[in-house]
Amino acid sequence: MVTLTIDGNEVQVPEGTNLVDAAKSVGLDIPTYCYHPGLSVVGQCRICFVEVEGMPRLVTACSTPAQPDMVVLTDSDRVREARAAVMEFLLENHPLDCPVCDQAGECLLQDYSVEHGLDTTHMVDERRTFPGFERRLIGPQVVQNQNRCIHCTRCIRFTQEIAETADLTMKSRGNHSYIDTYDGKPFDNPWSACAADVCPVGALTVKDFRFRARVWHLVDTESVCPGCSIGCNIHIGHLDGVVHRFVPRENFEVNGWWMCDHGRSLAEGLNDRDVDRPVVRAAHGERVTTWGEMITVLHSMATEAGPAGVVASANLSNEGLFLVKEILVGHFGLEVVVPVESDPPRKIKNGHNEWVSSVDAHANSSGARLIGLPIVDAAGLAGFIKDGRAPLLVLDDRSHPWLTSDEAASALEGRRLAVASRSVTPLAVRAELLLPVASWAETEGTYTSSTGRVQLARRGFVPRGQVLPMWQILFRLGVAAGVYEEGAVSPRSIFERLAKAVGAFEGMTYQQLEAESGITVSAEVLDVVG
Amino acid sequence: MEPILLRARGTPNSRSIVTYHEAGGYESLRKVLGLQAETVIEEVKKSGLRGRGGAGFPTGVKWGFVPRDLPKPKYLICNADESEPGTFKDREIIRVDPHMLLEGIIISSYAIGAHVAYIYIRGEFYSEAVILETAIAEAREHGYLDPNVLNSGFAMDIHIHRGAGAYICGEETALIESIEGKRGQPRLKPPFPAVVGVFGCPTVVNNVETLASVPHIIERGGEWYASIGTERSTGPKLFSVSGHVKKPGVYEVPLGTTFREIIYEICGGIRGDKQLKAFIPGGSSCPILPADKVDIGSDFESVAEAGSMLGSGGLIVMDETVDMVWALENLLAFYAHESCGQCTPCREGADWALDVVRRIRRGYGRPEDVDTLLRIARFASQGMTICPLGDAFCEPIRSFLAQFRHEFEAAIESARPLPPKKQPVLPVRPGHGDFGL
Repeated sequence: MVTLTIDGNEVQVPEGTNLVDAAKSVGLDIPTYCYHPGLSVVGQCRICFVEVEGMPRLVTACSTPAQPDMVVLTDSDRVREARAAVMEFLLENHPLDCPVCDQAGECLLQDYSVEHGLDTTHMVDERRTFPGFERRLIGPQVVQNQNRCIHCTRCIRFTQEIAETADLTMKSRGNHSYIDTYDGKPFDNPWSACAADVCPVGALTVKDFRFRARVWHLVDTESVCPGCSIGCNIHIGHLDGVVHRFVPRENFEVNGWWMCDHGRSLAEGLNDRDVDRPVVRAAHGERVTTWGEMITVLHSMATEAGPAGVVASANLSNEGLFLVKEILVGHFGLEVVVPVESDPPRKIKNGHNEWVSSVDAHANSSGARLIGLPIVDAAGLAGFIKDGRAPLLVLDDRSHPWLTSDEAASALEGRRLAVASRSVTPLAVRAELLLPVASWAETEGTYTSSTGRVQLARRGFVPRGQVLPMWQILFRLGVAAGVYEEGAVSPRSIFERLAKAVGAFEGMTYQQLEAESGITVSAEVLDVVG
Repeated sequence: MEPILLRARGTPNSRSIVTYHEAGGYESLRKVLGLQAETVIEEVKKSGLRGRGGAGFPTGVKWGFVPRDLPKPKYLICNADESEPGTFKDREIIRVDPHMLLEGIIISSYAIGAHVAYIYIRGEFYSEAVILETAIAEAREHGYLDPNVLNSGFAMDIHIHRGAGAYICGEETALIESIEGKRGQPRLKPPFPAVVGVFGCPTVVNNVETLASVPHIIERGGEWYASIGTERSTGPKLFSVSGHVKKPGVYEVPLGTTFREIIYEICGGIRGDKQLKAFIPGGSSCPILPADKVDIGSDFESVAEAGSMLGSGGLIVMDETVDMVWALENLLAFYAHESCGQCTPCREGADWALDVVRRIRRGYGRPEDVDTLLRIARFASQGMTICPLGDAFCEPIRSFLAQFRHEFEAAIESARPLPPKKQPVLPVRPGHGDFGL
């Protein structure tokens, strides 16, 4: 540990910490453009100047390690003057197009201009422009506007150090240097949109999100990516019940500062909502019903109609799966399978610069294993359905792609079917009971990643219509069956029972999950379950 | 003074190893191979030899920074990038006496414990690169570049790396990046190249003229070398004189010779017998000096005292007809083009300053322009940038405005207002606007 003084505050930081991070540890913000905690230090934007007593010149805080007994001033007259000058240099050629720039609101140039810049400029000459580079789709995800670039090279370093694909490069020299793809190939790697995330200005923007919403209107909800079993931490950006984007949320242990483009692309899918009322279908037609009636029918279907089978889902939260185990398996004695799809392998760099890879396409298959539900693959699922169990209860019509195949359609021909769904899928169309179920952003829950990390995803907004989350549907079924007493229920209360009932979750509390970025199941337990 | 570095100039076939042998070539190398490396470094320290690339750092001290006990290989790089406008002395050494440079490189490598040396030569010096290739082939044939140099057990080889035409690659860390095959951009320091240089190994980067002086120091001793020049600026120095003199060219003089002697005696005076207006003593990045400073000595200390730098010895002479606004524009155009684009103040500042000066020269100056230029110069130099290219374009701005501010102000006073911007003319549809009246 090293002890130094920053603006009169005594700071203790581990050896090798730079002055930006050291200042951050006592709540002092040193402006940075080129410095990003996940990328190498280049010290070239020159905005992070600080004064160190005993050094004749200002030093860049990002490239200066904290040393014992250093006395650092982050807000002296010299520092303020130098920062204002650097801001003026940066803005000299930067277009004044904030009203039509999609980065506005989360633009470091705007923020620091207010905080550290001059209110005027000495510049009267023509701005430098890059004709033809104002709106360039450089890859499937990213749009470039070179006029706005401040040459911080974060995006280049991202492709070199994190993605390890080195797709982006700086071409030409001096004031006319510009970002381009290496060899003119499209900028297409599995994490390409992160280059737009790290861009501190509006030079690189994510194509799917461009002009969808002003970011200061968006509500950010802390969540976990539903795309695979890595469990990348994300923010869901939504507005009035519409999900607009996923952006990575910093978690040193899981995804660092990154997420893959596949995960990001799932944001749009959360807006699918064709089914928002419970529907009962009979020979003479379909009718909208109430949840009360729906639960009754469901109850009778589960108890009276022969050897019923349940297709659960590894996309459900730990709480939902726990209720599946308690009610459907424990009380009704139904046979349950959790189909797990093996996906193209996905990987992400964590904060330690190590690759973390995914074993399957679901966010919670480890949770299903730990809770003790049987996992099946496509063949197992086909066998389970073809065995002829009827009625069949499908808790998530998107739990496995086999469910939408022609093979599944013929196997399900003429059988009683209850399906929880959000949209009109082939399965939902032939369901006798159609249960509107909440999307990822519409319910709170905990999910267990493939490394055994239990993480909390919060609810973004209340679903419209009569949509319920799966844990609530199952709870009501439990009440109808007399297993539970009617009363208040929440993911928190279910998780507390889960922590008592399932050994792997022993000792975990919901408060901990809310306060920390995740709790890891012990390795031995995880090994046993496989 | 008898020529030392340019002693072979005028000798027929001076580049050949035979001619070099006749002049006593490679004798210093034979002498060195029997000595301890420390003894060689001591001798160079004793000579007071200072880097000839521009900074004037004592060479022996620089060699001493290389950690001896590190298990990594060490490298020597000969900087033949010579990209400073007004400097063309290294080219002369390579053209006249390439083996003197090779011998210097081998001796210096021996002193720092390097077994591989690179010559980073400016891309435009094509024929010079060919000359060096030929000389290296000859040296290999004679066993001077060999896994076992002259049966001494010392292994040595030299590679030539041609630059791709960037001024910044003359800066030692950008040069190292370029040799590594990367974009030529200066590195953050520390660590310095003596500790972490090319391929992550300890590296010494020396100028051509510095290395070419080493065989002479070994041959005749450090004390002899120190006896030339002034007390703290020792040895002979090549000056590449350009501009309005009758006989421009490369001349070898002892350090400390007055600029009057160089300009009026050695170079034959100002062309057309006009008046001297100003001169830049050490290549275009050094502050300009007015005519009345012509009597100062050409040693590091005297030039620094007069407010400039000796730099690489690229003496640029300007006569009374030179328009200083134009001269500054010319310099800034070079630096704006050559800024690598890495750090903000230099990338944006150099172009901006060029815009302002160009506008003044074209007759559209504004009264506040001088202050704007000084503001740019203040915040793009002296530690605001990673490498000294910031200073390289700011020093001219500062010194031109200090010495010749009246010329800029006169240009601004007689300025016209900026012409109105051309607005796009929108077509007027009939019935809109003029109603056909």
